[in-house]
Amino acid sequence: MPDLLASDINYGDAIRAALEKIEGSLKHSYRLSRRTIALLLLQNDEEIYEMVKARENSFSHIQEIITATAASFDQPLNYVITIKKQELVNDLVTAHVKERNNTETNSFSELLNKLTITPVTGIPILLLVLYFGLYQFVGVFGAGTLVDFLEADIFERYINPLVNALTDRYIPWPAIQDLIANDYGIITLGVRYAIAIILPIVGTFFIAFSIIEDSGYLPRLALLVDRIFKKIGLNGRAVIPMALGFGCDTMATMVTRTLETKRERVISTLLLALAIPCSAQLGVILALLSGKPQALAAWVIFISLVFLFIGYLTAKLMPGEKPLFYMEVPPLRMPTLANVFSKTYTRMQWYFLEILPIFILASVLIWAGKLTGLFDLVIKALEPVMELIGLPPDAAVAFLFGFFRRDYGAAGLFDLQQSGALTTTQLVVAAATLTLFVPCIAQFSMMLKERGLKTALAIAGFIFPFAFLAGYTFNQLLKLIGGI
Amino acid sequence: MLKKFKKRSKCCGGEQNPLEFHGLKKIVLVGNPNVGKSVLFNRLTGAYVTVSNYPGTTVEVSRGRGKIGDEYFEVVDTPGMYSLLPITEEEAVSRRLLLNEHPEAVVHVVDAKNIQRMLPLTLQLIESGLPVILVLNMMDEAKKLGLEIDLPGLEKSLGIPVISAVFIKGTGIEELKRVIKENARLIS
Repeated sequence: MPDLLASDINYGDAIRAALEKIEGSLKHSYRLSRRTIALLLLQNDEEIYEMVKARENSFSHIQEIITATAASFDQPLNYVITIKKQELVNDLVTAHVKERNNTETNSFSELLNKLTITPVTGIPILLLVLYFGLYQFVGVFGAGTLVDFLEADIFERYINPLVNALTDRYIPWPAIQDLIANDYGIITLGVRYAIAIILPIVGTFFIAFSIIEDSGYLPRLALLVDRIFKKIGLNGRAVIPMALGFGCDTMATMVTRTLETKRERVISTLLLALAIPCSAQLGVILALLSGKPQALAAWVIFISLVFLFIGYLTAKLMPGEKPLFYMEVPPLRMPTLANVFSKTYTRMQWYFLEILPIFILASVLIWAGKLTGLFDLVIKALEPVMELIGLPPDAAVAFLFGFFRRDYGAAGLFDLQQSGALTTTQLVVAAATLTLFVPCIAQFSMMLKERGLKTALAIAGFIFPFAFLAGYTFNQLLKLIGGI
Repeated sequence: MLKKFKKRSKCCGGEQNPLEFHGLKKIVLVGNPNVGKSVLFNRLTGAYVTVSNYPGTTVEVSRGRGKIGDEYFEVVDTPGMYSLLPITEEEAVSRRLLLNEHPEAVVHVVDAKNIQRMLPLTLQLIESGLPVILVLNMMDEAKKLGLEIDLPGLEKSLGIPVISAVFIKGTGIEELKRVIKENARLIS
């Protein structure tokens, strides 16, 4: 084969002439070669266009060359240039890469690959993954066994009584006693929620999620749901932030950056804030409802319907180009234990360091609120809303917690359920409303950062009343069918 | 532990160039999503950024300090890019980095299995005059598929160093370090 000159690719006479002329007109120096700048200009790269326009005096001349060259081709220059480059790559590959006919390809992993992306088998596989990975491991083992042990055997039996007794004996002021101990104390509530409820749930979730993630299952899931997602104006690529949302909505909101159009990013941000519960919240909700399968089913169906309905509606209302599906599908791999371990560890460390101060701060704020009477005032104000969606006044506390963090609110609900204050219907309605209800502070600030003030406020302003309206509707529906 | 965490969160994610990297030679890792840039970053710096088996995990620029021989380098991990002509925001971030900073080495990491789809970016990088090193990662998976790649021939045609690697197992790291060091010496 002829010597290939990668640094001087032959794009054909017309483009070559244009490139030489543009390169000759570029008087300034750029970090990238003049050839590259010229190529990008020919391909209508906006950022480069603005940069060159600002620096070069003879820009109108360059502009003329671009227009003239583009006019002399039937196809866009971007296409012509890409094809030329790919031709050279094909030559390179023919010359240097040999493909042996290989019979020992891993037929098992190929079979598994097919099974995961074909709807008939893919959906049962998804259900199996959800059942064993999430429901059994996170819901039953993490949120059941582990939480019971830490909550009942460690905190309720040893730590809380000890802290209560110590503060009672050594601190003479009841106000300070309440800050540390009793119903809403830093240790008896804040630290207890963080360590005994959230930590085991999030820990088991992160382990399950890391394994699923490293196996390469998620991109296949994306292919599977692509059809449904297209209906709501998203493409399969959006499943990645959505799936990540089940880990942490804040992180997922950041990852919406990988979506191609602004419209997709806004729709995903809204859906993440509204209908995707984060791992901590999900875990606690699984724990809340795991004793009653029909309640869990009602919750799943209702949240899925809200997700699809709002997704469909926004896609209809928001104008914009329909996205194309475009994604890499990596091979299925056996997850390596070391990577799963270090990933789970870093995530838990990051998570724990982030939530512990917030939980403590929340305890302090609630304490201050109680002291000043503000807390009771807000609870009083929320009570009619609770009544409207059929919940006891006590549930208002959980919703107030929910302002601080999604999982904190769910943990409050967990507490309420443990004391037997809720019927099954109330429980499901409360869980659903709380799932839809405000994104946590961290997620909201990420929305501000990624989408800007206007969009973030609009999303929050929509979610707030919508959550309660949905809760109300849900309650009425359940009542209509005689409760569950 | 808290201190360590704080330090890490300071070093990663920022787009500005913090003082701790002042005067260090720079290595920039680029390539398609999900080819192993973050694994390489972790191997070179000993820091930890999340690695997973799906595209688009890295959405921000991470910076870390790595040692090759007895010299320190600044290592920059970039969000995945398919082309120098960006379509998504993350690709734009990566290209802006190449436009604004002066790397001593640009390591283009590709998935050897999909070399045909990834070489166009290599050509663009060579065209742009950057000091490119091509790394064919996941060579084990490529071999399993029956691909045989003639490294010396590819090196000659492209006119840049080409290295084969399996980062997840640590293969190819030492050779890459050696090539980076030689390249950096040539430039300075």
